[in-house]
Amino acid sequence: MSGGYIEFSNVKVGRSGRTILNVDNLNITDGQFINLIGTNGAGKTTLLCVCCGLIKPDTGTVKLAGVNLTSLSGWRKVSLRKKIGYVPQSAEYNADLPFTVREVVSMGRTSAKRMCSVLDSRDYEIVDSWLEVLGLREQRNQTFRSLSGGERQKVLIARAMSQQPAILMLDEPGSNLDFNWKKRIVRIVEKLHKQTSITVILVSHDVDLLPTDADRTILMHNGQILADGSSRDVFESEKFDKSYGCKFKIVDFEGRRYILSCDK
Amino acid sequence: MDPFFYLVIVAGAIAGASTGLLGVYIVGMRIPFIGICISHGAMAGTVFAILLGQSPIAGAITASILVSVSLTANRPYKSRLDTNVGLAILFSLTLGLTFLGMGLLKNSRSEILGLLWGSILFVKRDSVILIAVMGILLALFTFIFNKELKLLMFSRSIAAATGLHDTLVYCAFMIVCGLILAVNLKAIGGMMIFSLITNPAAAAYQICRGHRSVVITATLLGATTAVVGFLLSFYLELPTGACIVIVSTLAFGLAAAYRRFINSD
Repeated sequence: MSGGYIEFSNVKVGRSGRTILNVDNLNITDGQFINLIGTNGAGKTTLLCVCCGLIKPDTGTVKLAGVNLTSLSGWRKVSLRKKIGYVPQSAEYNADLPFTVREVVSMGRTSAKRMCSVLDSRDYEIVDSWLEVLGLREQRNQTFRSLSGGERQKVLIARAMSQQPAILMLDEPGSNLDFNWKKRIVRIVEKLHKQTSITVILVSHDVDLLPTDADRTILMHNGQILADGSSRDVFESEKFDKSYGCKFKIVDFEGRRYILSCDK
Repeated sequence: MDPFFYLVIVAGAIAGASTGLLGVYIVGMRIPFIGICISHGAMAGTVFAILLGQSPIAGAITASILVSVSLTANRPYKSRLDTNVGLAILFSLTLGLTFLGMGLLKNSRSEILGLLWGSILFVKRDSVILIAVMGILLALFTFIFNKELKLLMFSRSIAAATGLHDTLVYCAFMIVCGLILAVNLKAIGGMMIFSLITNPAAAAYQICRGHRSVVITATLLGATTAVVGFLLSFYLELPTGACIVIVSTLAFGLAAAYRRFINSD
């Protein structure tokens, strides 16, 4: 599915007299890999919610695949969201239920298909192929609740991909994972981006999670876009140091990039 | 054996099966208190229907649907108000309305209290047909909306973000829920309905793997515990409602023990 582009113009969102999002101009083009980064409370999740049309901005327009989300209502907005694959933060799903891994992944087809229709063998082909890609074939009949945090994250990525979205949004995918799993999840997302060339928006407050392949890094601070450009430019800019309160340096080591933070 | 005996068994099996199936979604969405909330809504509806000279059952159904649909107004991922808090507010309101109505109404209180403590022993043929029709409606609904309900239970935020009309499906489910509970209330009573919704589903969630097995287990367990409870009460000459509640709690206890000691999947 193509159409993974988003345009923001003069978007403002306010909560109790405070502006929590203020984006004059933002263009995300089809197939980009975007690293959306910022400290807690910078407005990253709000920006995502505005992209999905879950939060309606007070002023300005948001266009998803050229269609103005802010003026749409009801069914048309709902069906436009089918373009979005979403991997939520862990507090946003119920991991107590005994769904099997395959069932969770097949939930991706729920969003892709018409309401009330039944999943057919073609849907399960797609589901099984994503299980295969993410190396979950062995675990497909295990329960989701018996998996570790990192494996659950893989299942949720497979779920989002089986929806065949135009945009993949990941909200803090590494927030409760150890260092190794964080790296693995980021590499999985990088690989998916290369293979499918969908638009990826990876939200993180965690500088460790910077994918080396990101086309673009957007730094948010107090609801505004502070810096927007290549990863190296943003990470080594003064604005970034100011926002996080310490200095950062990108180091290339054995073909991969690493970010060093230096305490002041 | 007199035909009344079989009528009660059939009523118990159908009510147990449909509340067991409904419970899968109610427990899965973590809103078990909706059972008690709707029971009291139905009571308030009955009181006001009597006050206004209308049919009590119509009042009960209308109020149940009103209560369940008003829950739809709260979207937790937006309002940051947990559904259970919404339920508590609704519960206190319906309780207040019931007492208000009872204060205004000087007689026929027994009919209202009967709704809360209703007894399966006084079930009538017409109401057995009604709960059977509603049970079939529920089964159809869960079959048609199977994939939507699964996603709603798993994550309402994912459902909303990725293009499922979550409010619509939730609202439809709530209407079905109100209907099922309202018609079953008169047959089995508000207190018992609460345990019939919660226990079989909670037991199934302890021992099952996969959604389909949860659905089948909870439905069968609901029907079985209702019938076994009734038979026990009949042969031991004990109160029926109490027996059914104890049997279904026991079933949950066994399931929890199975998960704890034998297989925690």
